[in-house]
Amino acid sequence: MAQQPLSSAQQPTDIYGGDEVSALVLDPGYCHTRAGYAGEEMPKQVIPSFYGHTADGRDIFGDEVIIPRASFEVRNYMNRDSVVEDWDVATKIWEHLLVKRLQPERPTPASKNGLNNVNDNDGDVAMEDVLKDENGGIDASLLEKPLAESPLLMTEAPWNTAKAREKAIEISMENWGCPAFWLSRTPVLAAFAAGKATALVVDIGGANASVTAIHDGMVLKRSIQRSPIAGLWLSNQIRAMWETCEPKVEIVPTFMVENKKPVEAGAPADVRLRNFGFPIADSFRAFEEERLLTEFKESVVEVWRGPGRYQGPNEDFARSQPGRVFEMPDGSNQMWREQRYKVAEGMWDETAAYPITGGGDEGRVSKGQTIPALIKASLEGVDVDLRPNLLSNIVVTGSTSLLNGFNDRLNMELTAMYPGLKIKIHAAGLTSERRFGSWIGGSILASLGTFHQMWISKKEYDENGPGIVEKRCK
Amino acid sequence: MTSHDLRDVLNIPSDASAGPRPTKKQKTSAPRPNLKGLAREVQNLGGDNPIAIVPEVSIFKKRRVASRKPAARWELRAFTNSARADDGALLLRHWRRKTDDGCAPHGDSTLQDGEAQPGNGTSLDGEQKQQQSKAEVVEDSAYAKYNVQVQVPQYSEDQYHANLQNSDWTKEETDYLLGLVKEFDLRWTVIWDRYEFSPRVAGPNGDAATSTAVVPASSRPRTMEDLKARYYEVAAKMMAVQKAVQYMTGPEFQLYEMMQNFNPAQETARKEFALNRMARSKDEAREEESLLLEIKRILARTERFNEERRELYNRLDYPATDTDINSFKSSAGLQSLLQNLMNLDKSKKRKSIMAGPGDGVSPQTAVPGSAVSETGPGGGGGGHHRRESIAASASGNHRDSIAGTPATPVEPPPSATTGVGASKKKSSGGAQQVVERRKLTEQEEQIYGVTRHERLNPSGPTFRYEKINKLYSHKSGQQQQRITNALLELDIPPRLAMPTAAVTAQFEKLWSAVTALVDLRKVSDRLDSDIKVEEAKKAERDKVRAAKQSASGGGDGDLVPSVEKDNASERPPSRAGPAPGGEEKVAAGDGTAGGAAVAASVDSPTVIKEEQAGDKDKLGVASAAASRPGSSGAHKRSASVLSTTSDKSSKRQKK
Repeated sequence: MAQQPLSSAQQPTDIYGGDEVSALVLDPGYCHTRAGYAGEEMPKQVIPSFYGHTADGRDIFGDEVIIPRASFEVRNYMNRDSVVEDWDVATKIWEHLLVKRLQPERPTPASKNGLNNVNDNDGDVAMEDVLKDENGGIDASLLEKPLAESPLLMTEAPWNTAKAREKAIEISMENWGCPAFWLSRTPVLAAFAAGKATALVVDIGGANASVTAIHDGMVLKRSIQRSPIAGLWLSNQIRAMWETCEPKVEIVPTFMVENKKPVEAGAPADVRLRNFGFPIADSFRAFEEERLLTEFKESVVEVWRGPGRYQGPNEDFARSQPGRVFEMPDGSNQMWREQRYKVAEGMWDETAAYPITGGGDEGRVSKGQTIPALIKASLEGVDVDLRPNLLSNIVVTGSTSLLNGFNDRLNMELTAMYPGLKIKIHAAGLTSERRFGSWIGGSILASLGTFHQMWISKKEYDENGPGIVEKRCK
Repeated sequence: MTSHDLRDVLNIPSDASAGPRPTKKQKTSAPRPNLKGLAREVQNLGGDNPIAIVPEVSIFKKRRVASRKPAARWELRAFTNSARADDGALLLRHWRRKTDDGCAPHGDSTLQDGEAQPGNGTSLDGEQKQQQSKAEVVEDSAYAKYNVQVQVPQYSEDQYHANLQNSDWTKEETDYLLGLVKEFDLRWTVIWDRYEFSPRVAGPNGDAATSTAVVPASSRPRTMEDLKARYYEVAAKMMAVQKAVQYMTGPEFQLYEMMQNFNPAQETARKEFALNRMARSKDEAREEESLLLEIKRILARTERFNEERRELYNRLDYPATDTDINSFKSSAGLQSLLQNLMNLDKSKKRKSIMAGPGDGVSPQTAVPGSAVSETGPGGGGGGHHRRESIAASASGNHRDSIAGTPATPVEPPPSATTGVGASKKKSSGGAQQVVERRKLTEQEEQIYGVTRHERLNPSGPTFRYEKINKLYSHKSGQQQQRITNALLELDIPPRLAMPTAAVTAQFEKLWSAVTALVDLRKVSDRLDSDIKVEEAKKAERDKVRAAKQSASGGGDGDLVPSVEKDNASERPPSRAGPAPGGEEKVAAGDGTAGGAAVAASVDSPTVIKEEQAGDKDKLGVASAAASRPGSSGAHKRSASVLSTTSDKSSKRQKK
């Protein structure tokens, strides 16, 4: 039965204490940047944090514009720590999201659009001239600030630097004219999205895996643990596996394939590659390869659920189990049996990881970087009294945690590590809730009526400067 | 089941943007169709799937009734939040139903909004107006009231120096700690987590040595217990400073006590324990679990054992000899004691009856008939009930026996557990229910003052002091006066202060002795007067005889002084009772009196006869007085007896 439409005549019953003030939520990450209105359940806009940079200095944003072009590079405005590196581009990309994509087109105010200027001869006015006053400088008051009506809530990694935080509030206040701003850490929001104020957040994202203890909505700084064992590391594992396996698997991204014919499993590909008239940048190719690897991760890779580690007798068992077929963009396909477990095993067992060739020290996993070790180290950073509570409130989020069997394995490892304690893992069932966990938490937080007192207002910013963000957003 | 789920199951990659989920969600949240003509319970049997046999009645969406009323108006209303620290600088706006009544300014503002939208030429002053009206009416957020903060102790510089000095903590660090406590609302885990106190490096004049010496000392990591201990110390002291301990209310004082008694060492030890508990291995955990189970089992068993043992002890009742008997010294205490003893007696008797027909292993199983099934599982509770019922019936019997009738079976109280069994027992063994008092030993009888009488006074029970009063009332007023005088001489009040049995007995003895004494005096007085009369007669006769002798000449003129002497020696002892020398004098006087009497009998037989009779009287009384346990010999006179007994009784009275 269809739900009765909400009557427009009555106020919605505020069962969750919501009081929406049309706030915006922006959640930048290494792989994707998400933005939307607070109070909604999914971000309206999700674009890659990778952007195209043309030779003539233009930056273009969005998934759909990343197509092969001449002298076209793909860059990321963030570094692998999920901390903004290129603030100019970050400002542009965020503005692109928040203003261009989220806000409706607004007509230029009649006083400024020049149509009413009668003294003009040809009726065509250069915009720049309108905005310039007599002194030739741009009058700030005439420039309407794009976000003057919406408070903005931004997320950040728990290890974000103070400088980056100050820069963030500066941009939103100075450039966009936000009336209010707040900066919140992703694990806190992920815990909120799971409906918990106290939780141990296991966030396995694209560039970083982190484990953070949250107590009453506040990050416990001593518990923050992170390692690179996340999506990109897993991609490198897959690359390494493809390189070592027999026959070696060539990575041909989709955009290079012009024509292909179906072939038998294990047979070499019968493909005609597209010939571009210009060289393809490595960064672009890597970006496209990453898409292919993501697909492989989503459909083939699986985490060994236990019992026990994967290495040893379990490997033989896995070999006897039915595998999965994956067809490359070039048409070659292959059955993956035990390998699909092995690529993810390095997350749990540092000895099982593929050695990364040429990756140097970066790809190698140390003992302390595996997920059980992260959790253990994180728990050691909090008070003893809190640990059982945290263990019974584990929130798993991040898109890499969507690997098949991840939660089962995590549960097994934790039960083995803390045999006497109750362990309860909370992982959202919906894919999107796991992918956008921190954004959803931000959406909840920013639409709460009790949150209004937290916002850093423009006045407070004007009085205290950007340093206020360190004082307030603890 | 949506295509998404199918994809999930088959592990087919799904496009994330395709979102069939929401529709599914809606479906589940929609209320289930209410099927008519089928019990709800039956419907529920089907679980989530509707029952197939019931034809689904298609319910069409009702046509919306078009209301004539105009559409509801909503407005984007600005509001502030008074919980914010920036005094209303932040104006946020949310959608609210537009109210026509009362809130004219709101309507005004939106109207101006509407005006301002199309043409911006007039918007400048319109906006100003709008600002003004808004400033007047902006409402406060409904959520501002949820802004609560913890109370953190405040102290001034002087107060710190007076009360809060601590060698381990500088004032700056204490300030820092209290600031964190306030900021994080006493969430100690967060406070400890964020605690990063870096003492200011000593000022420009401070030399490097001291600064380096100070820094490592105070920058060593503080444990949570350190922080808590310091905070509680400060809070407790400031609490006491603001309000003296004796004026605190109950909860305040409790808080104060708790903060004062905070023991960081104990906390640390507890946390270590917790840590060890967490760090144990799987085997250890399992072992511990099994041990815990074992302990539980053992405890349960001991509990049962104890229960049984207590039951057993209750059966083996024994007189509690070591208890204080003071509670039984009053008449009410005696009464209850008597009742207790009877109850014990009774229960013993009954138990023996109960144990009689059974095998004697467990009295409970020996209870015949339905009582078994009722008291058996009850255990201790059943026993208790029985005891109660016994007590009740015993008290009934007790009352009967006091009334003097032979014990009769009393109706058992309506006790659920023993009703049937008890009545059965009553019917079977009513004859054995004769009340049998417990024999008191001699000593006990003495202690409790139990006496036995062949039959009771016809007048019924009396008070002891009444008995004494009765003694008085038999005497004439003169005698009463004399007796009182004699008692007063002995320092004994005529009315006893504490008429215990022993005291009254002694007092009676004393009293009878005093009466005897008073009687003797009466007799002696009479004798004196008689003697005087006789002497007068004799003198008369002597005169006559002398007159005759003068004519004839007589020889027994020396008799007169001896008689006189006798009289003289006889009078003093009766007058001065307690005098120590009196005894011998009396004895001597007695002898001389005897001798005098013998001598007197020679020539005046009538006088001698009278004298002998008087002496005999005297001796009889004296011997009666001397035959009492306190006296030593028959020859002793009443005065000595009096003195000794009075000493004793006075001593007793003092006791």
